[in-house]
Amino acid sequence: MLLEIVELTKRFGGLSAVSDVSFSIASGEIVGIFGPNGSGKTTLLNLIAGILAPTAGRILWKEAEIEGTSPHAVAAGGVVKTFQNPQLFMELSVCENVAIATHLRLMRRFGMLRTLELLPWRDAAREAEMANAIDRVLALCRLADVRDRAAAGLSYGQEKMLGVAMAMMCEPELLLLDEPASGLGEDEIRTLEHALRDLRDAGTTLCIIDHKVDFLGRVADRAIALQQGSVIAEGAPAQVLRHPRVVEAYLGRQHARA
Amino acid sequence: MKALFWVPFLIIPAIVQSNFILSIFIFSFILAIAAVSFNIIFGFTGQLSMFHAAAFGIAAYLTSLIVSYFQVSFWTALVPTLAFTVLISILIGSICFKFQLRAFYFAVVTLAFSELARLVILNWNSVTNGTLGLMVLEKPSVWMPGAGLLKIDGVFSWYYFSLAALIITVALCSLVLNSWIGRSFAAIRLNEDLAQTLGINTFRYKLLSFTLANALAAIAGSLYAFYTGYIEPAYLSINQSLDIISMVLLGGSSSIAGPIAGAFVLTGLPHMIELSGEARAILYGLVLILTILIMPRGLIGTLVGLRRAA
Repeated sequence: MLLEIVELTKRFGGLSAVSDVSFSIASGEIVGIFGPNGSGKTTLLNLIAGILAPTAGRILWKEAEIEGTSPHAVAAGGVVKTFQNPQLFMELSVCENVAIATHLRLMRRFGMLRTLELLPWRDAAREAEMANAIDRVLALCRLADVRDRAAAGLSYGQEKMLGVAMAMMCEPELLLLDEPASGLGEDEIRTLEHALRDLRDAGTTLCIIDHKVDFLGRVADRAIALQQGSVIAEGAPAQVLRHPRVVEAYLGRQHARA
Repeated sequence: MKALFWVPFLIIPAIVQSNFILSIFIFSFILAIAAVSFNIIFGFTGQLSMFHAAAFGIAAYLTSLIVSYFQVSFWTALVPTLAFTVLISILIGSICFKFQLRAFYFAVVTLAFSELARLVILNWNSVTNGTLGLMVLEKPSVWMPGAGLLKIDGVFSWYYFSLAALIITVALCSLVLNSWIGRSFAAIRLNEDLAQTLGINTFRYKLLSFTLANALAAIAGSLYAFYTGYIEPAYLSINQSLDIISMVLLGGSSSIAGPIAGAFVLTGLPHMIELSGEARAILYGLVLILTILIMPRGLIGTLVGLRRAA
């Protein structure tokens, strides 16, 4: 297993945002996690990404415990997360945003000394690698046309795609996407699906949380349903969506009986 | 190209014979080092450190005291001073950044450490002579090809000595800030949470920025003590910190040239129009308020903006 979550719990004071959640993600799959607002989806991703420390439970990344590790170390280890509300370097251009995201990639390829650019001469190999990587990712995320525009001047959909582009730039083995489709139009969702499939084909494992059920149903290989911080169903997306407890959570008890 | 910027400064002493004016240049050069270094942590990394004057003052005391106690040269004394500055920067920085102190919390905690240092120096009478301060009688020497060991004494030698120190500081800063280190500083300033999830070790880079800024301030402080020949606890005061902040805001915090311009204006003006301490404070305040209102990007930022628009 690539990632294993074992009896993970996070309490904020008296509130259990995530309680006793266990599941695992295998290499190469697309896992969709869904649930109504307040079901603990974002908290769960923040726990995995190291942004929050769990109250109890374990997170195993390639069989090593990573709970409580700082976010940059988790990212360097291959787990990268996007944000629900796009987090960008607003004053910088699209291209510069993505350039900052090349940090981990350059570190892996060229080591610390060559990445830091402290050497007095130009490093043509590093510059070429960086320029190529930026072009590829911008093309894949359909941002090539706006590459010189300031991030603050993008549409909401482009902001979201830029968030995904920056995460892709880090070459994650596991990419955690926090509601990537929320607020996107149909066209933009299709671009997103396309980019995500390309990523999976390139060997990246994806974990997507969203409450757009049809979007998850199309892209996910496996679905996990959360309610009030607990897993209530797990399996193929179509099955999970028909699961009585899932229907109840989404539509209320009466629809579940009907 | 940028090297040409310094050429006028090289020939100024040949044209200007007045010791008074040259000494204003010397003060400006030394305070510009303090302002440029402060801008590493403030303008580039986005952390309002209030420890800068403390690093400046502690180093002024330490270098002078080591020279007089152990009868060593300025350069020999500078090594333990820098080592000490790096050490306390790492200590204070680690405390602040481990507890994720941001914005005003960081400013307040660094201010507390800075006041702590000032009170120690103020009250440690047997070593520092308290409020009265100490005279610094030694002068640094440098080895010049052809001339041998040259004592830096008198306005001309101090002019070139402090100018060289400023040029080296600027060269070092532009090397660091144009590298990936500078890019990481910018990432922290613009969006620290995002920088972290992109794998940038924000703790380490903030610590590096804080330490580098303080170490360069320590060099400025040591030069200042040896040029004026006098050290006093006021070097570590909050006023000194505010002076440096004013220089950066006046010149503009988005470039290296900004703080230099700010240091020149705010060092030169009060001297040119003979002002008392109180009047100087009023002038500083006024200049600061007007700059923020009229030119929020500072002198250099506004000039660059105008040139782009033209």
